[in-house]
Amino acid sequence: MILRRTTLAGALALTRAEIADMFQYRVVLFLYSLWEVVHPIVYLAVWGAIAGEGDVGGLRLSDFAAYYLTFMLVSHVTAAIEIYTFGPMIQQGELSPHLLRPMNPVWVAAARNISYKSVSMLLLIPVWIGLVIILRPTFSITAGSALLFVVALVVAALLSFLVGTTFALLAFWTTRSFSFWEIWIGLTFLLGGQIAPVELLPGFVQNLATALPMRYTLGFPIEVLLNRLDAGELALGFVLQFAWLIAAALIVRTVWRAGIRQYSAVGA
Amino acid sequence: MRILRIVSAFLRAAILKETAYRAELAGNLLRSVINIGVAVGGLAVVFSHTSELSGWRLEQAMVLLGVYYLVQGIVQTALSPSLNEVVSEVRKGTFDYVLLKPVPSLLLSSTRRFVVWHVADVMLGGAIIAIGLIRLEAQITVGIAAVFVGVMVGGVAIVFSIWLALTTLVFWFVRVENITMIFQLFFDTGRYPVEIYPFWLRQLLTFVFPVAFITTVPAQTITGREPLVAIWLAPLIGILALLAAARFWRIGLSRYTSASS
Repeated sequence: MILRRTTLAGALALTRAEIADMFQYRVVLFLYSLWEVVHPIVYLAVWGAIAGEGDVGGLRLSDFAAYYLTFMLVSHVTAAIEIYTFGPMIQQGELSPHLLRPMNPVWVAAARNISYKSVSMLLLIPVWIGLVIILRPTFSITAGSALLFVVALVVAALLSFLVGTTFALLAFWTTRSFSFWEIWIGLTFLLGGQIAPVELLPGFVQNLATALPMRYTLGFPIEVLLNRLDAGELALGFVLQFAWLIAAALIVRTVWRAGIRQYSAVGA
Repeated sequence: MRILRIVSAFLRAAILKETAYRAELAGNLLRSVINIGVAVGGLAVVFSHTSELSGWRLEQAMVLLGVYYLVQGIVQTALSPSLNEVVSEVRKGTFDYVLLKPVPSLLLSSTRRFVVWHVADVMLGGAIIAIGLIRLEAQITVGIAAVFVGVMVGGVAIVFSIWLALTTLVFWFVRVENITMIFQLFFDTGRYPVEIYPFWLRQLLTFVFPVAFITTVPAQTITGREPLVAIWLAPLIGILALLAAARFWRIGLSRYTSASS
């Protein structure tokens, strides 16, 4: 896909408009942010209760605190919301006016994604800082890991957006795209580094988690930042993350083209 | 008697409506199975590193998870559909029609809608409880079973009261579509025993937002664990919460002024 300057300008304008729109819903956005805080705290409590004064697989309580505090920010940045923002547009025929514009409607989904996250991030940060003070994590971050983290995080956010868009695009064919999405959510819960850091998964499941894409939308950037991976694992991780990103981009392209061909607005 | 007839008529209508969308029904059932399967898988991951979680064995934690889904299923079948309707009706002013009917408004507002397929969560939750109990080789006497049912009813009463109180806020703030998210936020902490949380959070979840009474206490009762607090408190708190919520509803109702006045 060649990015023309007019497309970029259009995307920027869309994002600005969406941000202005988002500010109307401060309270709701704050509630959504709290949601993202509560779940990691539950997992942290579980692992904290097991670790106690000792450790679980080499992770002490303060390591779990660092993991799940990073988790809050990463899961926020990479959250895929397209099933709620883009899916209904297709289902209710609101896609039609966007098709008349000289840019792909996927940009509308992207603009909404970015605006949602930037506004709710503002609400999340104060809560997060408070939690850092309460939970006393030990962040073992180096300059190198921070740099690689930024790369891993950006790719994770892109990958997650493309996956979310793919599931949202299923609305071209079925009214039940949400059921498929829940399967993805469930797999991410188990294999993406949510219920447990991937390194704590039992052997065979861990290999599965390394191969499948879920970890690369969530757990991988956290592991990179906190230096939980050796050089080999790091290299393999990045290769697989980029491979999944390319695969996801191709899938979205294919699904979009197939879907738009047989799209008919409500009532047609 | 008349009340029972009204509720059963609503229930019949809900079942008829649901059976019209059979494919949807199958998809939703599959969703329930996946959700619960994933949750059990999560427990398996946690317990691959330990034999007990704050004194709870895997089987006991499974029973607790079962209680969670049982209550969740009841909420989504019978409580949330009706009460969510109230929120949108008050906003649009069509709540007038509820008040005009010769049935107590609270009864009508909380029993009008049922989303029947969520019963799947109730059944799967029950199945997980049963599996946990069988693997524990628990000796369930009639007495224990009766106490368990009593404690569960207390827990559901607490849930209903919280949900009703949150809904009643609509009479003051009108735009509260997402307020019940607060409930889910706290309720999600109830997937695990309340003992895992740090002291202050445990107090919050026991006395302020009593999730402990909804999942931990019933699971303790039936798996024969040392109870967290005297179990007879659960039904008592349930009754008190119901009375308080009903009173709050009446206060809220007196503020209702329809949409355009």
